[in-house]
Amino acid sequence: MEFISNLVSMPWLDYSISGLVIGSIYALMAIGLALIFGVANLINFAHGAVFTVGSYIGWTCLVALHLPLGVSIVLVALGTGIVGALIEWLAIRPLNRQSRIAPLLSTIGVGLILDQVIHIVFSPTPRALSANIPNWRIQVGNGTIGPIDITIALTAILSAGLLYLFLYKTKLGMAVRATAQDDDAAKQMGVNINRVNMTVFGIAGALGGIAGLLVGLYFNSIDPNASFQMMLKGMVAIVIGGMANVPGAIGGGLILGLIESYGIGLFGASYRNLFAFAVLLIMLLFRPNGLFARKGERHAEPMTGTFVSQSKPVRIPKQLILALVVVALLLPMANQPYITQIMTNAYLYGLAALALTLVSGTVGLVSIGHAALLALGAYASALATTKGLPVGLGLIFGGLFAGIVGTVLAYPAFRLRGHYVAIGTLALGEIVALVILNWTPVTNGALGVFAIPPLELFGVPLYGTNQSYWFVLGLLLVFCGLQVRLLNSHLGRTWRAIREDTVAAETYGISSNYYKGLAFGFAGFTAGIAGAVTAHQWSFINYDSFNLQFSVLILTMVLLGGMGNVSGAVLGAIVIAALPEFFRAVAEYRMLFYGAALIILIRFRPQGLLGSG
Amino acid sequence: MTEHRLLPALSRRLFCQLALVSTLAGPALAATSGDPVYIGVSGPLTGPQAQYGAMWKQGFDLALKEINADGGINGRPLDYIFEDTQNDPRQTIAVAQKFIADPKISVEVGDFSSTSSMAASPLYQRGKLVQFGFTNSHPDFTKTGDYMWSNSVPQSQEQPLVARHVVEDMGMKKIGVMYLNTDWGKTSKDIFAKAARDLGAEITTEEGYLGDEKDFRATLVRVRDTHPDGLMLVSYYADAALIVRQAREMGIELPIFAAGANSPEFIKLAGPAGNGVHTAINFAETSTRPEVEHFVAAFKETYGQGPSHFAAMAYDTFNLLAAVMREYGTSREDVKEGLGKITDAKSVIFPKVSFDPETRRISDPSVTELVVQDGGYTVYQPASQ
Repeated sequence: MEFISNLVSMPWLDYSISGLVIGSIYALMAIGLALIFGVANLINFAHGAVFTVGSYIGWTCLVALHLPLGVSIVLVALGTGIVGALIEWLAIRPLNRQSRIAPLLSTIGVGLILDQVIHIVFSPTPRALSANIPNWRIQVGNGTIGPIDITIALTAILSAGLLYLFLYKTKLGMAVRATAQDDDAAKQMGVNINRVNMTVFGIAGALGGIAGLLVGLYFNSIDPNASFQMMLKGMVAIVIGGMANVPGAIGGGLILGLIESYGIGLFGASYRNLFAFAVLLIMLLFRPNGLFARKGERHAEPMTGTFVSQSKPVRIPKQLILALVVVALLLPMANQPYITQIMTNAYLYGLAALALTLVSGTVGLVSIGHAALLALGAYASALATTKGLPVGLGLIFGGLFAGIVGTVLAYPAFRLRGHYVAIGTLALGEIVALVILNWTPVTNGALGVFAIPPLELFGVPLYGTNQSYWFVLGLLLVFCGLQVRLLNSHLGRTWRAIREDTVAAETYGISSNYYKGLAFGFAGFTAGIAGAVTAHQWSFINYDSFNLQFSVLILTMVLLGGMGNVSGAVLGAIVIAALPEFFRAVAEYRMLFYGAALIILIRFRPQGLLGSG
Repeated sequence: MTEHRLLPALSRRLFCQLALVSTLAGPALAATSGDPVYIGVSGPLTGPQAQYGAMWKQGFDLALKEINADGGINGRPLDYIFEDTQNDPRQTIAVAQKFIADPKISVEVGDFSSTSSMAASPLYQRGKLVQFGFTNSHPDFTKTGDYMWSNSVPQSQEQPLVARHVVEDMGMKKIGVMYLNTDWGKTSKDIFAKAARDLGAEITTEEGYLGDEKDFRATLVRVRDTHPDGLMLVSYYADAALIVRQAREMGIELPIFAAGANSPEFIKLAGPAGNGVHTAINFAETSTRPEVEHFVAAFKETYGQGPSHFAAMAYDTFNLLAAVMREYGTSREDVKEGLGKITDAKSVIFPKVSFDPETRRISDPSVTELVVQDGGYTVYQPASQ
């Protein structure tokens, strides 16, 4: 009842204003994303980094060089416009004929590089960004709004208007629309689609940069870690508005801002992102074309088969595998605990990658929320064992819990395809983390779970460096063996059939949801055990132990090895876990190398080192 | 002897560091000889928390220079090996294995956050190497075992002092609390709220928020509508600045106490809105104690800027460990035993340092209350208010 009375007595006007202010910031982000999605059919994950680059160019102009605001805006637009065009030229265009996942991952790589360059040049400390802006404020409701708030809203509307004129009144705009509809047909009609794409990325970059500058001025604070959050919010906004719908993106941004603001009003700020991602999921499930789509309008998605690169997997001779296993078993004898620990970490990554390569590679559901499965397993085992369950049973409980709950959570996403699966699983991953953070009575909230018992199996201690190494290696080998068996059975063939063409598989009488569920259940079990082992190894976990960066890292491992390829997943995990160690000497540049390696790999060996299975 | 610190020096700071190392090496070689005594540092040099690792290094290097000029550890030079972990628990446990297996290391310092530090604690405990966490305020950090020690200010002692200032000096009777929803924020908030209630104040609301939050308008509306007569922010400097600015923009003119406002960065980010905000600090640059005056002067001379709280903590930590090793020996067991025995060690943060051997934390911190005024700080004076 208290809730209802809160609902009535809430100061709706004040919440609406705060929602519209932050919503117009999201809208600015969303316009660029929608534009790029329209033409390139691609979610540009580097857009958040372009936003950050814009805020730092703005800082350089306004604070370091004392240029006037007008000049600064022009320079920011130019600078980030060039960055945007370069992204298209260097990271997207060469991937023209590759699988659809390739450019998406390439933009993740570009984003990493841009963020790291900003880190190195400007240091990670937040900076103040102010300009000579008139100091009047208008009273609205109980609060006030000032010139910057209005500028942000106007910029969003103005740029949408200009874009409209460009798209519908100019020849290049017509070419852009033609390319968005059908790039092959446009090409045949003599449209230079490279020029079109570059123009669009340039415009989107300029808009993103201006957004960075304005938002920096609004908060009087810029920081190089802002990219990812902004990118996420922009993405939710375009899902609400319709992926390629530019005016829809503005509407989507404002709606998202309002929903968050009302949500905070009712439940509190810790829940903010929970609302954003819940809205995202609901939209994906019920209105995948966005709120503003006309009835019956269908987008180019869903697609089948083309999302993952196909190739013949590299066959590794049995003798070589055997030899490698023997080497792995003998490794602790070298008496280098540091290396042993790195390899234990690598095998745990390997277990997680094994699970992901099954759902993403074999079944074709590319997941960016994989960390949630590990978190579920880790929390289940940690909470059960701190209350007295033996660790051995805790591990199994963690695996079962992650398998069952993970499948139930992901079930609604089974009907999604392509990009939508990636976005949907990303949202699911964030929702799991936020529920863990906010459900304090069960999960202990922000304090995390402490004093988790160390690894042991029914009285046999396994927490020594070498024992835990052998234990994790054993787990990895067992699960590898199981997965290979499954893939070679009729189940494996069915999974691949669903990946290749779900509709055709269904017409052959395969209930695709059931088989997707089986894959998720098995993957969830594997990942849950990996998470549980990690929890017992660390003795302390919190909601951030398995975060989005972790999900992206695991996906990179899977791609590196080759989607769906069991030995590829293990190889990818070992390479990526060991890679940072090689770059230790050049610590500051580590993430740069990492981003560059990702782009180069996608460009020159999109099927992964060992080929997709 | 300096090869370990030259490795990460393959960076844009190459020249600064080379200059620094050579200035260090001069007096050090004159006063000390033999194998160095090593401290292993596990901390972030890259990644989102890299700025804190950079601040640590400033404090470490300055402490090292002075310790070695003063005879090192009974004639042996003191040195450290800094391993970058990006504050990632997967990397801190690997680094822990490296340090435990390396017989040169006498004591380990770090990591930065509780998540990454506590993941490595079981290893250090079993490896019988002291893990000295100087930024670890998580209440459970020292509970893993008797090899976990911390000189981070225990919130259980600091927050009641803050509550007294907020309730009695600032006169808040109905307090709206906003806190960073992390282990530090939540623990501090709980202790503060209890202490404030004990002093007769009412807590009108407790609003948690996430670390990457930038927009606080909606949360502030929520807080405002509980009709508090003052705001208490358990926040870092960047979010404190954002909250203060947005509160003032929304016309909320209540008195504010902000935990993170003690960083000079707060003043830059908050701008004029920061004026009149109260805060408290353990390390007060303005203190007239000889240790502090010496440290601030030496720091400004070396780095051309005032020390941050993290640099001061880092400096203090090395001096403390040096004092322990000088008095009680440099073996791993010596360090562990020595930490429990040392009394009245010099410190720039605490009046005097000694540990409670049960909790392995420091007792009796002091706080200095500050008020932000026109781009600087003034020490709070009860009489003049």
